[in-house]
Amino acid sequence: MTSGSFFYDFIQYLPQLLEGLKISLMITGLSLTIGVPVALFLAFGVTAKRKALRWFCVAVVEVGRGAPALVLLQLAYYGMPGAGITLPALTSAVLALSWTAAGYMAEYVRGGISAVPLGEIEACQAVGMKRPDTLRFVIIPQGLRIALPSLMGFAVMLFQATSLAYSVAVPELMSQAYSIGSSNFRYLNILIAAGVLYAAISIPSTWFSVLVEKRMNRHA
Amino acid sequence: MSEVLGPQQRGMTIPSQAITSSFPLDSPSAVLGAPKVQVSHLAKAYGDNLVLRDVSLEVPSGSVTAMIGPSGAGKSTLLRCMNLLERPDAGTIQIGEHLIDVAKGIAPKNLAALRRSTGMVFQTFNLFPHMTVLRNISLPQQRVLGRSSSEADEISHRLLSRMGLHDKAGQYPNRCSGGQQQRIAIARALALDPEVMLFDEPTSALDPEVGAEVLDVMKELASEGMTMVVVTHEMSFAANVSDQLVVMAEGRIIERGDPKDIMRNPQHERTRKFLHAVMER
Amino acid sequence: MNVEILFAVLTGLPLTILITLTALGIGTLLAIPLLFGLRSTNRTVWFISRCFVDICRGIPPIVWLFVLFFGVSVGSARLSAFAAGVIGLGLVASGYLAEIFRGAVKAVHAGQWEAAHALGFPATSTWSQVIGPQVLRTALPGFTTYAIALLKDSSIVSILGVAEMVFTTSQLARSSDLGIFVYAVAAAVYIGLSVPLGVLSRSLDVKLRKAVA
Ligand SMILES: Nc1ncnc2c1ncn2[C@@H]1O[C@H](COP(=O)(O)OP(=O)(O)O)[C@@H](O)[C@H]1O
Ligand SMILES: [Mg+2]
Repeated sequence: MTSGSFFYDFIQYLPQLLEGLKISLMITGLSLTIGVPVALFLAFGVTAKRKALRWFCVAVVEVGRGAPALVLLQLAYYGMPGAGITLPALTSAVLALSWTAAGYMAEYVRGGISAVPLGEIEACQAVGMKRPDTLRFVIIPQGLRIALPSLMGFAVMLFQATSLAYSVAVPELMSQAYSIGSSNFRYLNILIAAGVLYAAISIPSTWFSVLVEKRMNRHA
Repeated sequence: MSEVLGPQQRGMTIPSQAITSSFPLDSPSAVLGAPKVQVSHLAKAYGDNLVLRDVSLEVPSGSVTAMIGPSGAGKSTLLRCMNLLERPDAGTIQIGEHLIDVAKGIAPKNLAALRRSTGMVFQTFNLFPHMTVLRNISLPQQRVLGRSSSEADEISHRLLSRMGLHDKAGQYPNRCSGGQQQRIAIARALALDPEVMLFDEPTSALDPEVGAEVLDVMKELASEGMTMVVVTHEMSFAANVSDQLVVMAEGRIIERGDPKDIMRNPQHERTRKFLHAVMER
Repeated sequence: MNVEILFAVLTGLPLTILITLTALGIGTLLAIPLLFGLRSTNRTVWFISRCFVDICRGIPPIVWLFVLFFGVSVGSARLSAFAAGVIGLGLVASGYLAEIFRGAVKAVHAGQWEAAHALGFPATSTWSQVIGPQVLRTALPGFTTYAIALLKDSSIVSILGVAEMVFTTSQLARSSDLGIFVYAVAAAVYIGLSVPLGVLSRSLDVKLRKAVA
């Protein structure tokens, strides 16, 4: 291995890149932890009877899905101080991506819930189960199960989207790669190394979500 | 006709309790027990579509009523009004002691009571795919009747054995054949000790041989004195197991009485046409 | 004041649309051979296509953009930021679109293939007459959903300094103390574009469904 070759750079800078990867994964995990419960709430909220609640939820979902994650990220980091709120870069990244995640996942959960066969809900009614029981034992578990492959697929997208936190100076994988590149000017090597790390997580995770989807279709 | 009604068909025999020929057309309750189900002046419309037009029906306690008629006649709607899965626009429904008058509104308490006293079996089974067979049967008992899980499981196991499915308890429904799934659905309904069982084309989604397994279970249930209302296209079941045949067309009951009489000698042109079409198959 | 900000943000819109459409075009052109590659019975062809698709999708767009911008040179000239942006987004799009097309082909009922084979159609007319038109229909919802996602992803090109909408927005935000407001306007423009597009695609889907079914 000669100094300056791809493998040389890859090995030499791997620890620093892994530090970044850890932060990327942490942002993903935190955004999902916040996003999933919010998404579940929004999925029901967008069909709520109370108008104010319904419109609030629709607005939250549409902004989360309709605005680019990059805009939400920059809004949270560069925009909020003007409104008197200054957030650490990491916090603003987590909040922005949680919003994006909640918006998208609310749609997946809602899709899953509406795909629960009507007959099963009628079966609950026919045996005299109460609405909260029907939700708890049939609609929510079934809906989440149906939505699971899309949710897993989205988690991979979210992991990739953490690379956008580079633009608000969070020291995640992309930022680490860029700062290494700007110190040794071998951008290509180090960016490819970062790409390999992203792919090493994304590709198997995507396969896994496809596998889950196939299994579920087989048993459905 | 004999081809369809032949007693050997699908291994069926004429049950001894089937009441034949001299069945009084207008008052079946005179022969059998007091009415268990009494539906009066039921009306239901979807928009402009009048699906039920002033329908009245009595089902004597311990008897089997078969309901036939062309597609779209309103059979499912009538059945689903009986346990208020569908809300009628007018009329009264009485199941056992529970009386519901649509005009007076439906209190949640009465709705729950009515649902508890009826069991329903759907054409598409509607088992919960994410629960084991055992849990499918036990969970409603726990949540609706408040039985303990051990008590519920014991009852479920007993019912599964009766259905010849005791080895399926731990499996998931999609691992079971259609005939097995439908028998599990029957067990799920029976576990709640209903006074009346409602069946909406329980064998239409099944192959004939498999449907026969389900029909056997239903026959056995009938012979044990369960009050049953069955929408079906199985003419041999209607002829040999049911005590009362109801023919529906365009939202009305056009004929009602002894099954064999009606089949031999339909009074109504629509009935004749329908029977003819069914026999052709 | 508000209107001024809106107009300032909108100066980036033509480039945003140009980037989106160019990347979508590159992605679609690449996705069609990839579709056949993914369906190929030749293991080598299949494997290469599979890897290409997975790598395109497995690496975040921003990494593609930087690799192309900093790493690729044609002779002594580097790619322009715009070129790096649309090629990078186009590569990512090709992977996703190939999968969308593959799913759409799979969704065409097996009976359609059988009928075409039974009628003795040659492969070309099976595709052009029977399968293709149905695939166009079944792929439409996925395609438009992806196009809308691409509209938003085009914002990433701002990081390379291409003056599309987010670039103009952040310039503006930096020079005013109403940053949050400027970003909110940009977000509203994106939502204002993607919501009607979504509605349009759904109604088109319903229409086509009626026409085909
Ligand atoms: N949920 C519904 N909304 C609108 N129309 C319905 C609905 N359910 C049934 N119908 C209509 O009511 C009529 C009777 O339906 P149904 O009771 O299912 O008939 P059957 O079971 O005898 O075939 C049909 O014309 C059907 O289209
Ligand atoms: Mg029906």
